[in-house]
Amino acid sequence: MGGWSSFISIVRSLCLLHAANNYLGTTVITYGPSMLPTLNITGNLLLVERISTRTGKLRPGDVVIFRSPESPRKVVCKRLIGMEGDQVTYVVDPKNSDRCETIVVPKGHVWVEGDYIYDSKDSRNFGAVPYGLLKGRVFWTLLPRKDFGSLAPKPK
Amino acid sequence: MRQWTSIAKETIARASIVVKFLCFLHVTDSYLLSSNHVLGPSMLPTLNITGDVVLVEHLSHRIGKLGSGDLVLIRSPLDPKKTVTKRIVAMEGDKVTFSLDPIRNHSSRSLVVPKGHVWIQGDNLYVSCDSRHFGPVPYGLIEGKVFLRASMAT
Repeated sequence: MGGWSSFISIVRSLCLLHAANNYLGTTVITYGPSMLPTLNITGNLLLVERISTRTGKLRPGDVVIFRSPESPRKVVCKRLIGMEGDQVTYVVDPKNSDRCETIVVPKGHVWVEGDYIYDSKDSRNFGAVPYGLLKGRVFWTLLPRKDFGSLAPKPK
Repeated sequence: MRQWTSIAKETIARASIVVKFLCFLHVTDSYLLSSNHVLGPSMLPTLNITGDVVLVEHLSHRIGKLGSGDLVLIRSPLDPKKTVTKRIVAMEGDKVTFSLDPIRNHSSRSLVVPKGHVWIQGDNLYVSCDSRHFGPVPYGLIEGKVFLRASMAT
């Protein structure tokens, strides 16, 4: 019957799409000021690859997406600053003071920070993020057109 | 030449059936139901030390219907390659009282589970490495809820 076979083929293509999504890559829409000037405040369409997180080939300086430790339904995009065992020095509250703190990233966790530290909720607020929450590495900007291409490295 | 193209076509057709079936299996595994082998002493007497096959459903944690008392499969915050089985003792906002060393001393500590986290403990408190050691665990690390043990009790 025509209806049944088209339903089966829809299910098949969705399964294939899901497998590609989980193991290869996906797209994500981000917005907000925490990653200025690398990412736009009004919105970006980014390409995310999932191979690096699964094989453990992430390095400090990569922009990653991860499930927020405070709101499990939200996916957050920040830059990886330190892997487990690294010593990280960060400015605690850059709007009010210059006080710095240094910590060692615990085992199984990573330290993430936004590029615009004055308006970013990141590891300085919710602590080191368990590696299991990382969902992928952002490697290409699709939209806005003027930013099309690979992402800029961490601004000095 | 024509033989090789027809053989190649048939191989591709058969391989694509296998790939499609694996994709379907993977989708069911991650969104509906999967079976897992769990072992270790930290969940005695609920689960065997030598190993149990359990059925895990992957719907409840996505729709937020998990609560304290549920047995869950959770990715370890210490080693992201390992998945551990523990019981949820407290959800976010609950106050939890626990004793770090139930054998040696009877002192206990209390804390409130922060937003977006859960407190997990093994049923066998004496040998379990759980939230009493590595703190509350983000809800996003939960992978599924154990609801059935599929092996024979020995």
